[in-house]
Amino acid sequence: MSEEALAGTFEERAHLQLQVPGLATAIGRAMDTILGNRALAFAGADLEAMREAGEAIRTHTVASLPAYLERFAETARANGTNVFFAETGSEAVEYVRGVLRAHEARLVVKGKSMAAEEIGLNHALEADGTEVVETDLGEYIVQVAHEPPSHIIVPAVHKTRGQIRDLFNRVHGTDLPDEPERITKFARQHLRERFLAADVGITGVNFAIAEAGSFVIVTNEGNGRMCSSLPHVHIAIMGMERIVPSYRELAVLMPLLTGSATGQRVTTYMNFVHGPRRPQDPDGPEEVHVVVLDNGRSSILEGEFRSILHCIRCGACQNVCPVYRQVGGHAYGAVYGGPIGAVLTPLLSGLERFGDLPNASSLCAACTDVCPVRIPLHDHLLELRRAVVLERAGVAERETFGLWSRAWSRAAGYRLFARLARVGQWPLARAHRIRRGPLWLSRWTRDRDLPAVAARTFRERRRRS
Amino acid sequence: MQDEVFLTRLRERLRGVRVPERPTDLPLTPASGDGRLFERFAEELPKVGGQARRVRPGELAGVVAELAAGAGAAVVASGLGAHRDAVLEGLATAGCAAEEPTRERAATADLGVTGAALGVASTGSVLIPMGPDAPRVASLLPPLHVVVIDEDRLVPGFGELFEQMADLSLGRAQTVLVTGPSRTADIELSIVRGVHGPERMVVLVVANGTE
Repeated sequence: MSEEALAGTFEERAHLQLQVPGLATAIGRAMDTILGNRALAFAGADLEAMREAGEAIRTHTVASLPAYLERFAETARANGTNVFFAETGSEAVEYVRGVLRAHEARLVVKGKSMAAEEIGLNHALEADGTEVVETDLGEYIVQVAHEPPSHIIVPAVHKTRGQIRDLFNRVHGTDLPDEPERITKFARQHLRERFLAADVGITGVNFAIAEAGSFVIVTNEGNGRMCSSLPHVHIAIMGMERIVPSYRELAVLMPLLTGSATGQRVTTYMNFVHGPRRPQDPDGPEEVHVVVLDNGRSSILEGEFRSILHCIRCGACQNVCPVYRQVGGHAYGAVYGGPIGAVLTPLLSGLERFGDLPNASSLCAACTDVCPVRIPLHDHLLELRRAVVLERAGVAERETFGLWSRAWSRAAGYRLFARLARVGQWPLARAHRIRRGPLWLSRWTRDRDLPAVAARTFRERRRRS
Repeated sequence: MQDEVFLTRLRERLRGVRVPERPTDLPLTPASGDGRLFERFAEELPKVGGQARRVRPGELAGVVAELAAGAGAAVVASGLGAHRDAVLEGLATAGCAAEEPTRERAATADLGVTGAALGVASTGSVLIPMGPDAPRVASLLPPLHVVVIDEDRLVPGFGELFEQMADLSLGRAQTVLVTGPSRTADIELSIVRGVHGPERMVVLVVANGTE
């Protein structure tokens, strides 16, 4: 799927994604693997106590965000790091462009960063003629395919090994087999050259440590280490909420993050950056920059949705979401998919454009149950739906649903509706399913079946048995 | 000025919001440790594709020679303390050239040898503060990374690790916690080792005292 397919409504994008053969099966299988590993990673630990502590740490930190950010800026600058506070995405992009210009940078190697995706950094830099190479294998795959990532942790989860082989062979003129081992070895060689030639490395930030003025990048591949070690300049982009008071909190947050994200008790590399290379150091960047990004987050701070800023970007809510598992990340039309995206995107980018995302949920609350810092995601989804209705729904729609609600709230009304539906559905229902509905129902049945109303209600069956 | 504008906006948005206490009593996690340090370390590291071996000081040269067999060149970090001579002796025995850990050498070397400031038993991790004694490239570019660490540098878990993190990072530009060889699962979640960093990692834990 191309980047243009991100336009339209959720319904349209989801419809497109549901036409992709095997997509839901592939995503479901991958998500089940991660969830199985997650269970193993937390085996023997008191996960509920950890989640409670995670929530407490995040609640405290986000409620005192300005103080911790101020402290971070102070300590990081004392370490020789440049800290830039960007109110908007374009301010952040401008700052990065300025650094690149100052160093006449031609080639940028980039580690995985959702914040950079969020502000469209690659496009802006490429428009200046800078070559930007994604170095996380999954990100590299989607970059070469000219697609956005479809999962926070596994960006190319929607692609099969066969598709990746074909893509690489087409782009690189190679003759690789569809073996992950061989494809990865090729990527290692190809990207190693880029790492050694790059002028600037750009990465995300998993956590910034206020007390220390340091930040940590978590990777398995080592691309975060490469980007922050080999080029002359390292720029890290962080959402302003990605901060912790001190190292101590990481003893809980790190296992929560890695266990929830990939089912690992620890990732291969936790890369703590304290600043630019010291005078005696044999290697490392001469300049380190941290861009602290607001980009709409501060408007979330004051209201009922503040806890969405507690998110540590593990992606677990995507893995369990029955909607995400069917339609994949691209259907959400923005950087963040799944329940976190359905809450965060409308808040960051506006209900006008993304007001339909909160409907991409069955409100089953699996996301809330799995969230390592106990964000009440399904409550937020419901609150956002309410906000959309208050803003948008016409009198007719409100009255119709008002009547419906009043009727269904009474036993007699509910029974009447059930009986009417049973009679009314006979031309449509086949084998207990309605596969093609008429009029407005056709939108529902376009991509799924509607279970038919049963011949006898539960109450009727009980009465007769 | 720009900082002030940015932070003032946040302060205004948070006006009247209650700040709950910073939690002090943190729970145990899968990365919290128990008593048997080396045994646990040696049990955990292979789970992520690494190896751990306990060696007596007198055995170190022999084990390094074994690991370097067939290798043409190694880059060796200076921060190996008392073990540096044994490492160099082992490499010489194997006929493996010991080179300065520059970027160019590291990019073509078969193995890199470094020390570590701390080992975490519950996860099989080692903490390497980068600096003059531990160039970044030595543990990153060669396909095999060999770590030499004294057994008394092992701690049970993340609690102990993060308590010492600030001290061990003092004066450093980067500190890395390494757990096994570089890996990816980005193609259909199948695990492949040796993506950007080493494919193999061996931690030699030098036993305390003279047994």
